[in-house]
Amino acid sequence: MDKIKITIDGKEIFVENGKTVLEVAAENGIEIPNLCYNKNLKIYGACGLCVVEINGAQKLFRACATAAADGMVINTDTPRVKRARKVALELIMSDHVGDCKGPCSLNCPAHTDVQGYLKQIALGNDKKAVEIIKKKIPLPASIGRVCPHPCEANCRRKFVEEPLSIAYLKAFAADNDLASPEPYKPEVAKATGKRVSIIGGGPAGLSAAYYLRLAGHTVTIYDAMPEMGGMLRYGIPEYRLPKSVLAKEIKAIEKLGVLMKNNVSIGKDISFEEIRKNSDAVLIAIGAWKGSSIRCPGEELEGVLSGIDFLREVNLGKRPDIGKNVAVVGGGNTAMDACRTAVRCGAENVYVIYRRTRAEAPAEDAEIEEAIEEGVNFKFLTNPAEIIGENGKVKEIKLQIMELGEPDDSGRRKPVPVEGKFETLEVDTVISAIGQKCSAFGLDSVELTKWGTVAANENNMLTNLEGVFAAGDATNNGASIAVDAIAEANIAAKAIDAYLSGLPLEFFKPYYSEKEVKEKDFSGKEKIQRAVMPVRTPEKRKKNFNSVILGFSEEQARNEAKRCLECGCHDFKDCRLIRYANLQPIVPEKFKGQEHKSFVERKLVTIERDQGKCILCNLCVRTCKEEAQKGILGLVGRGFETVIKPEFESPETVRFCKDCHKCADVCPTGALKILE
Amino acid sequence: MMRIVIGEGSCGIAAGALKVHKAIENALENKSKIEIGKTGCIGMCFLEPIVDIYDGKKLLRRLVRVSEEDAGAIVEAAETEDFSKIENIAISEEDEEFLSRQTRIALRHCGIIDPTSIEDYREEDGYKALKKVLETMTPEEVIEEIKISGLAGRGGAGFPTWFKWNAARQSKTEGKKYLICNADEGDPGAFMDRAVIESDPHSLIEGMLIGAYAIGAEEMIVYVRAEYPLAIKRLEKAIEQARENNLLGKNILGSGFSCEMIIKAGAGAFVCGEETALIESLEGKRGMPRIKPPFPAQRGYMDEPSNINNVETFANVAWILNNGGAAFAAMGTENSKGTKVFALTGKVKRSGLIEVPMGKTLREVIFDIGGGIRGEKEIKAVQLGGPSGGCIPKNLLDTVIDYRALAETGAIMGSGGMVVMDESTCMVGMAKFFLDFTALESCGKCVHCRIGTKRMQEILTRIVNGKGREGDIELLEELCEAVKDGALCGLGQTAPNPVLTTIKYFRNEYNAHINEHRCPAKECAAMLTYKIDEEKCRGCTLCAKKCPAKAISGEVKKPHIIDENLCVKCGACSKVCRFGAVKIL
Repeated sequence: MDKIKITIDGKEIFVENGKTVLEVAAENGIEIPNLCYNKNLKIYGACGLCVVEINGAQKLFRACATAAADGMVINTDTPRVKRARKVALELIMSDHVGDCKGPCSLNCPAHTDVQGYLKQIALGNDKKAVEIIKKKIPLPASIGRVCPHPCEANCRRKFVEEPLSIAYLKAFAADNDLASPEPYKPEVAKATGKRVSIIGGGPAGLSAAYYLRLAGHTVTIYDAMPEMGGMLRYGIPEYRLPKSVLAKEIKAIEKLGVLMKNNVSIGKDISFEEIRKNSDAVLIAIGAWKGSSIRCPGEELEGVLSGIDFLREVNLGKRPDIGKNVAVVGGGNTAMDACRTAVRCGAENVYVIYRRTRAEAPAEDAEIEEAIEEGVNFKFLTNPAEIIGENGKVKEIKLQIMELGEPDDSGRRKPVPVEGKFETLEVDTVISAIGQKCSAFGLDSVELTKWGTVAANENNMLTNLEGVFAAGDATNNGASIAVDAIAEANIAAKAIDAYLSGLPLEFFKPYYSEKEVKEKDFSGKEKIQRAVMPVRTPEKRKKNFNSVILGFSEEQARNEAKRCLECGCHDFKDCRLIRYANLQPIVPEKFKGQEHKSFVERKLVTIERDQGKCILCNLCVRTCKEEAQKGILGLVGRGFETVIKPEFESPETVRFCKDCHKCADVCPTGALKILE
Repeated sequence: MMRIVIGEGSCGIAAGALKVHKAIENALENKSKIEIGKTGCIGMCFLEPIVDIYDGKKLLRRLVRVSEEDAGAIVEAAETEDFSKIENIAISEEDEEFLSRQTRIALRHCGIIDPTSIEDYREEDGYKALKKVLETMTPEEVIEEIKISGLAGRGGAGFPTWFKWNAARQSKTEGKKYLICNADEGDPGAFMDRAVIESDPHSLIEGMLIGAYAIGAEEMIVYVRAEYPLAIKRLEKAIEQARENNLLGKNILGSGFSCEMIIKAGAGAFVCGEETALIESLEGKRGMPRIKPPFPAQRGYMDEPSNINNVETFANVAWILNNGGAAFAAMGTENSKGTKVFALTGKVKRSGLIEVPMGKTLREVIFDIGGGIRGEKEIKAVQLGGPSGGCIPKNLLDTVIDYRALAETGAIMGSGGMVVMDESTCMVGMAKFFLDFTALESCGKCVHCRIGTKRMQEILTRIVNGKGREGDIELLEELCEAVKDGALCGLGQTAPNPVLTTIKYFRNEYNAHINEHRCPAKECAAMLTYKIDEEKCRGCTLCAKKCPAKAISGEVKKPHIIDENLCVKCGACSKVCRFGAVKIL
């Protein structure tokens, strides 16, 4: 056969005559996105993704239908091609009704594959579950215990009865794995010879270290504290996260070959410049260790301390003298940790001063409940007006009585003082738990935000300095929950790996298709109650720092995991549509309009069809006709209303369906599912 | 011999031509000296029913807007040759300009001959070109003559006819080749193909036969929409006559050339006017375009080499062979030869079918032939090419009719729909009108057209409903460009044209809708407010009586008021008010 020469994206290719541009590109490792092409079927040309530019031609060509001709110069990635492809994907997605992932995963800052690991837990494969979790969270036993679990808040099981107990299931699997003879240990890639220094050994630093080590880099963590763990160790009380659990998880990371150096303070023991000099990349993950001041008269008195300082002291094994009466100011999780720790330190009257009501408190409701059980006295709708001292020591706290007014920017009703109404409490100690700040000491060359945190690009966590990245509480918006820090560390690790490999850092937020659901969509579901975590009684737990939770039983955990509704798409990993949709940023929301109806039907033998996910590529119709020689399926309706149905809408035709699955095999999305 | 001829195209019949025919027939009883006959559409739709009085072939009087009551006077006039009593219904000199300023080739017999009579057609040199071709020319010579003429596809794309014929001629097959006529005229507002088939079916058959001979086709298919029953009936009759006269079938006119002809009625999908979708439909499949290549000339109907031309294209062929390609090429511009038929509609005084040489300006067509704008209003724009075309604003009315010149404005020649708009037409509303059409008529195959036209329609709908958002114009532009680039067939690729041209020339109207919630043409109901002028209102209560929403109240002989909250903005009050008291704000 004659050989011809064509050029694709600058690459000269000699090829036999008679092939399409798409075929030639594929044979030469150049992927041209396509959704309606299949080499066994007649050319169709509907999806419009495979368009390319050909030098000298005005219009775009569909690579699937264009014969390669001698001398042809083809470009598959020009701005015009990308625009046509981008709009095509945005249009498809604007009418693709389905969930790529469950809301649990999408609302997890780290995008953990919740559905995936719940399934493994349900099947009894805890090690496999941990493998899945550790793709996103390297500290599952710890995070499973402390995470405020936004996954659960968004779990659709709430429309049936209650959300799944996702966080505790994560801890359950991780505990079992840690206790097993051969815990999960990931593969470390071949050494790259690149050195990464991480400043800070908290959840962000440890996570980044884990992923960068797995990528084959030499990783050193520097930490100012005596032991690794950061706020997980020094901020979270023992009764919520036993240090022994955290230590095991840190040890597992160390075993991968991560170097850990404690008691090293930047700017004191080693300069930032020196670290930079000795490393190919640096990650700043120093956390937010400074408590916000209470800002009322008397805050300088002896006996006024910050929540995180108090918790750190206790976690270091000290027992600060806090007296009998303690007021904790704040309504968040640190306030809860502080008040419950105060109880365990022997305080008899512990008050929580919070200017709004329980409903607005950012702390988890279970935490508030457990604190009340432990005897904490909540003074809702009060705010410190003045701390009154005697001989320089705290004696009383004067509280302004508040009421709720109009909603503020956050949507919560704004507390306003009730004029002239005050209350005074006798206290020995005032613990302020109203926020944390970052102290970027010794990092003078790093650009900071107006809040004093390290400024980093959200998409790749890069700072103003070449090769210097930042993650966790110390960046941008400041302190948040541990899994947020881990999520940022994941992005930073990916970016650092790319940076060290000389790849571009142009990351963007991935797009996922999401379906709107209503409570009535779940009306037929059987109700199965959420597993209740066994806990020690308040009387017992008040007395020491032992873990409050006792852990799920095996039966409890497996059954709980089985409650998962499996909202995410069965085909997510193989879906070509979502892969192409994430080749460049897309914004399908701008085309939001009428959508095809979303419903699942079982008309074909062993095939379940999800109408909402169908993108009308017609591959199933053509395969049924051309490959299976049946012709059972056909297009019905015109224009936007077009749908795939049995040919001529006749149920009779379906009788010819055998379980050949050919249609489901070629479906590029999750619209066709083979029933097991 | 005196003849009374009634125009009986669909338009004439709709206006009452059959009743007029009957009345004249009755009046003619026992007057055997006068013949009665019928003809097709002369193109002056605004004057139907039209009755012509001929002496032999000489037109004595053309009577317009004729009613049954005129029958007696018409017959009397034909009998006595005294036309004084029917001067009141004779065509005015002004209206005669509608015809006299045209150059008719494709429409040369329309409204003149009897479409059901092959003899009539033959008297006008009918089948002379076919005879000449079969007896004296090779297929290559025919193609050469068409090449000289410069004839280009009149269906819209304007592709050189000779090139397609030649490609089909060169294409090899073991089976047989097909010649197909696209009579699936789908553009709203275009009806020249229907008129040609209804008024001059033999010229289509003759043109097709010459084409079939040129490419070597043994079978001809006319794909005509089922909504054209009269055209189908007359074409069926013409085919029958042609067969009887050995103009179809085996060994045509003893030349050894054999060719059959069939009619296929389409179910009325706009996309089936796209040639590959038309082929799919002919094959009994769902009407969806195929990807090109292969082109129909390589693998078309039944995977055999096929050539597809539009009715108007074929209607020119016999004339070209009779008069020579050079005579055809002598008309027009450098890029566009011959004449073009337009369906002139909208706000013009005289609407109908017209045929003019290429190179005339839009202004000449609209003002000299169409007589300008009806009423006191100003012209605003003209829409060319229907839903695939674009609008051309009044400052570009000196653009000449030429494929390239029109394309440069953003519009297209198209199949010849020409809709004239005045100040009272909202350009956003017009774009929406066409997108409503294309979104509905999209076949649903390719993403860009199926979802893209739907999204365009949704965005336009929210703009005309006063719910446009900042950035909608840019969003439309982005979407339109991508759809032009990405759609599979001509329907989708050209669907953005009405949007893009209205944005190009009337961006301020879009802005007014979006930013000021104002429709400058006062057409978009959602943005109008109806108010009664107290000074002008006489309290006649008529508006209150006509208001379907009971939004108008007031005492007799006292000024009325409209409750804005109840008003549904139908405009009924404004239409019935005799004092001009209802103001639209």
